[in-house]
Amino acid sequence: MSLLQRDREIIVSNEYIDNFDFAEVEEFVKNASKDLFISHKFRNNKGRTLVQPRGGFPTYEKMFTLYEEFASVDVDVLPLTIDSHTRLNDYSSAQKMLRLSEESEVDMLNGYPLINHGYRSTRKMVTHFNTPVSLRHGTPDARLLIDIAIASGIFEIEGGPITYLLPYSKNFPLDKAFLYWKHVERVCAKYSPLNEPINRESFGPLTATLVPPAVTIVIQIAEMLLSLEEGVKSFSVSFSQTGSLNQDIVTAAVLKKSAKKYAELIGCGDAVINLVYHQWMGAFPRNKEFSESLINTSTVIAAMVGANKIITKTKAEAFGIPTKEDNAQSVANVKYTLNMLRGLPTIADEEEEENLTNEVDEIFEAIFNDKADTLWRQIFNSIKNGIIDVPYSPHIINNNEVITVRDKNSNIRIYERGKMPISDKSFAYEKSKLNLGDNKNSIVNQIISDIGVML
Amino acid sequence: MSKMLIDVGSTYFKVSSNGKIKHYFRSFEKDIYDDLIFKCGDDISKFNADDIFICSSANGGLSTLIIGFSESFSLKFASNIAYNSGINIIDTILYNNIENCSILGEIIDVVIIVGGIDGVSGIYDEKLIDYLSKINYQNIVYVGSATEVPFLSKKIDNLKVLKNIITNKLHMYEDELKEYLTNLYQQDIMGKEDIKHLYELTANQIYSTPYIVNRSLPFINTKLEVVDPFIVVDIGGATTDIHYSKDLVDDNILTQNEYDRLVFKKLGVYKSRDSLIFSAKNNEFVYELLAYLNTTENMLDSKNESSTKLLMQLSVFLVLYKVSHQHKSYLNIKLNTLNSIVLTGGITKVLTCEEIDNIVSFFYKKILNFHTAPEVVVDNDYAIWTLGIKDDPKV
Repeated sequence: MSLLQRDREIIVSNEYIDNFDFAEVEEFVKNASKDLFISHKFRNNKGRTLVQPRGGFPTYEKMFTLYEEFASVDVDVLPLTIDSHTRLNDYSSAQKMLRLSEESEVDMLNGYPLINHGYRSTRKMVTHFNTPVSLRHGTPDARLLIDIAIASGIFEIEGGPITYLLPYSKNFPLDKAFLYWKHVERVCAKYSPLNEPINRESFGPLTATLVPPAVTIVIQIAEMLLSLEEGVKSFSVSFSQTGSLNQDIVTAAVLKKSAKKYAELIGCGDAVINLVYHQWMGAFPRNKEFSESLINTSTVIAAMVGANKIITKTKAEAFGIPTKEDNAQSVANVKYTLNMLRGLPTIADEEEEENLTNEVDEIFEAIFNDKADTLWRQIFNSIKNGIIDVPYSPHIINNNEVITVRDKNSNIRIYERGKMPISDKSFAYEKSKLNLGDNKNSIVNQIISDIGVML
Repeated sequence: MSKMLIDVGSTYFKVSSNGKIKHYFRSFEKDIYDDLIFKCGDDISKFNADDIFICSSANGGLSTLIIGFSESFSLKFASNIAYNSGINIIDTILYNNIENCSILGEIIDVVIIVGGIDGVSGIYDEKLIDYLSKINYQNIVYVGSATEVPFLSKKIDNLKVLKNIITNKLHMYEDELKEYLTNLYQQDIMGKEDIKHLYELTANQIYSTPYIVNRSLPFINTKLEVVDPFIVVDIGGATTDIHYSKDLVDDNILTQNEYDRLVFKKLGVYKSRDSLIFSAKNNEFVYELLAYLNTTENMLDSKNESSTKLLMQLSVFLVLYKVSHQHKSYLNIKLNTLNSIVLTGGITKVLTCEEIDNIVSFFYKKILNFHTAPEVVVDNDYAIWTLGIKDDPKV
């Protein structure tokens, strides 16, 4: 028995798992409908941008009804958002809250507790809708969750050791997260040859708070490389609307180009790399008309950057969890807008692209020069040393020295580079776009205003 | 040529070469060095001093007193570094309470003073000097705010000053204190009559066994079928050690290793037998456990093989209890997310895997209301330490 299989057997021997049948699951994946695989849909979508909302309710019935609502507007990809207790591997609390939700009609969880529902019943729902489902979770140790998800027919797994840790966790050890996600990649890679590949997707928005594109791209590619080196063949890099149309176009171009370049560098050029665009992830305006306008603008940008998938928001974003009707309406609107935006001309900003590419390469050079003997440890050391620094991350390992602000065109610029190894030339370019002076108070006020740029 | 690895324990020698581990029960009437040479001198003579690596817990470890300014940073950080450096016996004093603290009677190997980030001043005053004048210690080290150094250096003789273990970002900086404590451990060995001759066998530094065990944990699955997150429970004669994967706690501590260590100094089966029995009798669940094991508390008072076995079983239960959420203490481990529990040390010679599994299952059912318990793995060969000593970059 392989070490991976031995580990999996111990992991599924869990209080909340009812007799996990590896052979049956393998047979299920082998014979599953191609329509459940987003990797299959990406390959056959003829350049169309797939639309995926967000959503997850605690009970099976409410989840089923949500999917019915999405199906009524011809959604391309269904979401399965996991509750917070499950994200922290606390299945006992998830179980209690699920029971309360079932008994009282009030949602006591902020997502679907997949472990507690189990794969047998969840599979019934997934196969009933016969549409790809994307697992959205935020779990540092997702080893059990991923086996249950795949057994349920969920063939797209979002997340990664960096993107699911630095924005969400304060003290979960990052080195452990890398090792746990290595296990996840191996499980995804193991199932991939049986049918269509399991698609892995990184979470590009990170803290969604003034993250400079260079940091987003480096982390996207880092997680992609960690995934591809374990044998994953279909991967989606992603980023969220920055607040500047030009910067979004530049980010998408550099991300696509660099992802391909670095995948080839490690001998994984045969993997399919997709681009995913998140509608605005920062604070939303409380005016619903403005929200609709913001959502519509981001849909246009997704079409302009040639995103393979767009992940939607709703006009109710500023007020809490959207109703299923709001959510479905948003999907319908986005699809309607995308339908009008075919055959758009390519727009490029060569100067910005060059500077961003240089910054990405400069950071990667430092990562690859780390003396560690494995890629994950090189990346881990780079985060620990501040070579990769995510603004506003709550995690104790993050260096928190990089400071960013918006320039007059709303582009996110690096004001303090901390220990990030971007060259003097690249940094001078960033600074040349700013006109802030040295008054620290005015910079702080500027940052506060930039964070709430869409309010 | 391959290497020879030797662990000098309080009751056994463990000698590993060419992938095989031999155990020798110690003769207490002999000097450790003489005993070792008598029992495995032929094997040792086949190796050069450069290829012999020794770790030891036979000198009893260093006793440490930590005086700190806050529970959440000073005392927590210094205790963490001390435990991970192989220190077994730790007492802590919160500086605000120092006037009400009892004066420790025994000689303390090292006093660690810590508090504040650099730049913070006025932390310590004459109260500290007064307390220190009443206790007996061999070494004293300061790892707190740099601003306090002039005052403390002037007032305390032979004060060793190292870099602050609390950074300006309230992170832990462990390197200098850790190195200082491991070197102190070495000096302690060299100063002890019955163990100092071990340096005639090796050209390498002798480390404390718990320090080496802690270093070995990232490689444990090459020897044992263990899945992260796991804990290693080392039940010995004097103390019970617990090494745990860091994702099992919510501490805001960044260390070099993926695993931390905690010592229960009063849960040893031989040297702290009385306090173990006291702890057991005061635990509300132990009587149910005794009934479950089909025995009574009278068994605890006898001194035979059966009572040792029972004490070992109680020790497993108590250590899990003390780190569970049922018991608020230095730390609580998320036992509900554990995949494996590894047992090592003297316990592996006394209890079978089934007997340990029995106790663990009882604990999970009774305390956590779980019907499934983590996999119990017994390090029968007591082989974990060999992974840590071999991987030492310094050797």
